[in-house]
Order: sequence, then structure tokens, then C-alpha cells
Amino acid sequence: MLSRLVFVTASGLKSSGPLGAGLVHASRSLHTSSQSLAPVPPLPEKGGKVRHGIFPEELFQLLYPKTGVTGPYMLGTGLLVYLLSKEIYVINHETFTAAAIGAVLIYGVKKFGPSVAAFADKLNEEKVAKAQEVKDVAMTNLTQAIENEKKEQWRVEGRGMLFDAKRNNVAMLLETNYRERLQMVTNEVKKRLDYQVALQNLHRQMEKEHMVNWVEKSVVSSITPQQEKESIAKCIADLKALAKTTQAKAAV
Amino acid sequence: MAGRRAALKAVDWVAFAERVPPNQRSMFNNLKTRTDAISAKLASLPEKPPAIDWNHYKTVVAKAGMVDEFEKKFSALKVPEPVDTQTSLIDTQEAEANKSATSYIEESKTRVAQYEKELEKLKNMIPFDQMTIEDLNDAFPETKLDKEKHPYWPHKPIAEL
Repeated sequence: MLSRLVFVTASGLKSSGPLGAGLVHASRSLHTSSQSLAPVPPLPEKGGKVRHGIFPEELFQLLYPKTGVTGPYMLGTGLLVYLLSKEIYVINHETFTAAAIGAVLIYGVKKFGPSVAAFADKLNEEKVAKAQEVKDVAMTNLTQAIENEKKEQWRVEGRGMLFDAKRNNVAMLLETNYRERLQMVTNEVKKRLDYQVALQNLHRQMEKEHMVNWVEKSVVSSITPQQEKESIAKCIADLKALAKTTQAKAAV
Repeated sequence: MAGRRAALKAVDWVAFAERVPPNQRSMFNNLKTRTDAISAKLASLPEKPPAIDWNHYKTVVAKAGMVDEFEKKFSALKVPEPVDTQTSLIDTQEAEANKSATSYIEESKTRVAQYEKELEKLKNMIPFDQMTIEDLNDAFPETKLDKEKHPYWPHKPIAEL
């Protein structure tokens, strides 16, 4: 009922949601004093239903079984007439003031109430949307961060491959070096043998040449002048004989 | 001869490349080029050098015992295998890396646990339109207005409005 009094003054305005002060404090203080840790049930969106802006619906429902639909109206009329006739409520200038002000107020609320309420609701919506956005961004960031961490862990698992590659490199280098050494040894031995062979060949060649030169020289020097003359004469004689035979052949 | 062919473990370069984080990519590329160069060099060398034709030399070289002597010495010669100094270093490096990797994974796991806890908290939060200001302050402590430091409304420096 305490909450209902708050809404009596806010006739026609929609409730501005649970972030409105009065309702919250009332329900909160109830809970904190009784020390119950159960989560608070969600607060109602709208206030209790009222008829004609003031009279709660529960009154009508209360009187319905006994007096039907018109009951509360009759009650109201009767009360009003009673107050006026017995002069419990005296009509004076303030009555008219109250009537005028009331009329203006009701006109104002009826005309501008919904738009003001919509504006207030929009403000609230914006706050909520902002908070929601912050929450969503936080959630996506967290999931992303978890993904990244998992990925990094997977990456770290591959570290063995690096060392395998390094060891492979080392083994390959060693193998290369060994092969090169073998190659070098073979080449050196071959070179030595080839050198010996080439040396031998050179020796033989030089001996051959020298011998040929020597033989030639000795032959040339052994030709005495007398032998030279004899051989030349013999050559001439042979040539003459040859010429004769060819002439004879040609004639035939 | 037994230690020669220390088994070359097959390295799956594709899978390796996947696991390299982007900031270490250049180092990985360098390693790969080096490895490729080394393996190319290895492939270019024959496994055994061509055998020397001793008989030919025996017939050709005049000096009697020379070829035989060479042959004997050659077959008796054992080329020493190059000593492996680096593998132990690599093993120590690997041990160190394993250690740092395990510690990194531990830290990473704690971080993941922390993130998951916060994620759970965010997921289980009541929707904003059912929250009160006190609920909001509980869920997001940074929204709490410090009423001791700034006793007058709006309880925060004007600049932060």
C-alpha cells in the first residue's frame, strides 16, 4: 500500500521502471531487514491499476460481489453528498481554486503525459543499452582472449620441431663434411699416382727425343765428303736410268 | 660408420610454418633457407667417392712397390668423422625451451581460467532492466559512486559526467 501512495501523485505517468527511487527503496528495505538472500523477484513494469486516476481497482473488485458494477460509484456519490450536505467539507473560494488548478493539471497531464513518459523511458533505455553494449563488448573480448590463449598454447606445442630442424642441420653438416674429407683423400692419392704416371711418361718422351736427335746427329756427321760425292753421282746415274726408262715407256 | 647416418628426423615444414607466430616469421624463413642450402649441398655430394682403379696404375707405374704401397695405405686409412659439438648444446637449449614453455603454458592456463571466470560472471548476470543500482554496483564495481570522497551530488568529478 505504501507503494500505491507514490503512484497516487504520479497519475497518468507510466512508471519509469525499476530504477525509479521510491518503489525500490521500499522493497529493498524490507528485504535487507529480514536478511533473506534470495534474489529479488523482478519488479512489476506498471503500477497497480487505478480507475479515474485515483481509485484503485481493488476497491471495485472488493465491492463487486455485494453491490455489482455501480456499487463503488454509489458509495462515492453518497460520500460526496454526505460531506457537502453535512458541511463536513465547506465550499469556499479555495474550492474553486482547487477545481481550476485541478482542471489545468489534469489537462496538462493528459496532453503531455505520454510524451514526457516516452522521453524518460528513452533516457533509461539509452543507459541500459550503453551498459548492455559494455557487457557485450566485454564478453566478446573475453572469448577472443580465451581463443588467443588457446592458439598460443597450440603454437608452443610445436617447439620440438624447431629443435628437430636444428639437429637435422647439424647432422647434415657433419655428413657433408665427412664426405668432403673422403673426397679430398681420394683426390690427393689420385693426384699423386697421376703425377707419377705423368712423370714417367715425360721421362720416356724425353729419352725418345734425345735418342732420335742423337742418332740423327751422328748419322749426319758420319756422312764424309767422299761418300757424299759418290752418293750424289749414284743418284744422278739412277735418275738418268729412270729417265731413259720413262722415255722408253712413253714412246711405247 | 654407425654414427654417420644419425637419422634425419623428417620435419614437416608446412605444419611447422603454421605454428610460427607472426612476429617470428622472419627467423623461421632464415632457418628454412639455411636448411635448404645445407640439404642441397649434401645432395650434391656423392656418398662414396669414385674408387681408384689400382690395376690400371699397377700396369702403368714403373716403380714396383709404389702402387701396392699406396693401395695398402689407402685401404688402411680411416677418415675420422667430424666431431659433433653442437647436438648437446641443442639438447640443452631444447630442455630450457621446454621449461619456459611449460611455465608459459601454466601462466596461460591461469589467464584462461581468469577469463572464463569473468565470462561466467557476465553470462550469469541478471538482465539490466531487472537490476537495481545496488545490483549494478555489485556486478560492476567501477560504477559505484564514492560518497565519502565526493559527499555532494553527483558524487563524481564534474569532468566525468
